[in-house]
Amino acid sequence: MSTAHDQPLVAGSTPPTTRRALSRLGLALIAAAAGLGGCAMSPPQPWEKGNLALPEMTMGGDALDQRFIQHIYGSKEAASGGYGVGGGGCGCN
Amino acid sequence: MAATDTRLPPRSGKAGAIIAAALSLPGVIVPATALADTAPERGEIAIKYLQYQDSQPDLSRIRVRAPSVYVMVPLSPKWSVEGSWVSDTVSGATPRYHTAVSGATRKMSDKRIAEDVKVTRYEERSSYSLSLSHSGENDYQSNAGGLSASFSSDDNNRTWNVGVGYAADRISSTNDPTLHQRKNTVEFMAGVTQAWTANDLVQVNLTFNRGHGYYSDPYKEPDIRPDKRTQSILLTRWNHHFSEMSSTLKSTYRYYHDNFGINAHTVGAEWVQSVGDRWTVTPELRYYTQGAASFYYDPVYDPVVGAPYPPGYFTNPPQFISPDQRLSAFGAITAGLKVALKLSADWTVDVKAERYEQRGSWRLGGQGSPGLEPFRATFIQFGVSTRF
Repeated sequence: MSTAHDQPLVAGSTPPTTRRALSRLGLALIAAAAGLGGCAMSPPQPWEKGNLALPEMTMGGDALDQRFIQHIYGSKEAASGGYGVGGGGCGCN
Repeated sequence: MAATDTRLPPRSGKAGAIIAAALSLPGVIVPATALADTAPERGEIAIKYLQYQDSQPDLSRIRVRAPSVYVMVPLSPKWSVEGSWVSDTVSGATPRYHTAVSGATRKMSDKRIAEDVKVTRYEERSSYSLSLSHSGENDYQSNAGGLSASFSSDDNNRTWNVGVGYAADRISSTNDPTLHQRKNTVEFMAGVTQAWTANDLVQVNLTFNRGHGYYSDPYKEPDIRPDKRTQSILLTRWNHHFSEMSSTLKSTYRYYHDNFGINAHTVGAEWVQSVGDRWTVTPELRYYTQGAASFYYDPVYDPVVGAPYPPGYFTNPPQFISPDQRLSAFGAITAGLKVALKLSADWTVDVKAERYEQRGSWRLGGQGSPGLEPFRATFIQFGVSTRF
């Protein structure tokens, strides 16, 4: 049988451990923090937050747009999630 | 939201009003940003019509038409409620294995209805939300709930977000009336949003999901997947506003890992450009790359039995196996453009078009899975929204 990329066909024989996953997440987090570290943090005063409050500065953005797009990506790619909890699933083809 | 507090200098009244308006953060499942611990002052109703069509060479695949509605109502300064409804009508063809365009292609038609509701309680430096959602189609039912909370620092420049969710899914199949399976998932999320400067918002979220139950695809053959799945996700988002250009760069990076052996990276960027007082133009790019699941097999078939069975399948059957293209190694690019027009102070219309393509050769850092056709899709949205 031809399997993909030197990976065993039988999953579960070498399952990645939670520790390994957390280790990788930790490394990525450190890398992200290091990247941000290059920019000096200068938190704004209350009267300097006008730009931060602009609608386009919200992290979530357009609710229906984001739900639709994440729903599509979740049905066409193996990775999904990370944007919140309680969203539920679907049997999408 | 804290940033509307009385510490604002008098001449910042306009900014304060903008801040208050921006606090009507939409999104039942989207965590709040920093700066949001009072109920939105105004409600919102949004309607969208969504179209989706995907294809591969010589085969038009799935087509989706989906009207959707979103409503958010501030009940008092301490409470708000929001919810959405969507109806997906899905039709078309999908391969039973890999990207084969033979008699093995499945014609399907389905309708999915999904609803969610979220109630939020706001305190001076914190907020608490309860969300419930349901998604139903003839062969899949999902019920989910979530509790989330956010806690702001004294200067409201930092917000910690935590959340826990639970989803209970029931799976059946139109091909197999005897199939009645379940899948349950617990989700944990923690994150922080920091006002880095007067023009930078940065967010880091960690999510860990643990599920057990039926993960196989009843419409693929052969498809046997593990009955447990753990997913670990790091999401970082950085929004930077360019005052002199009236524009905002929204960038994201997501790292994903699960026990199926899949590692994936997603990077995205949107450039939100104001044009005059009424128009907003937003081009966007997204790149996604994933490795294959450890039990995915390439489209090489048994010389005697033939497709879709891999060599040796009947003499030495594997514990887990799948020919699902979505579990292969590939890269994907999305390019899109959104245009919004503010009709008045309260009414906005928008249209968005995106083009998406998957290719094995686009996988980052190595060759993707061989023997699969490119996969393409077009997404189009038409929307109108108003505040009240």
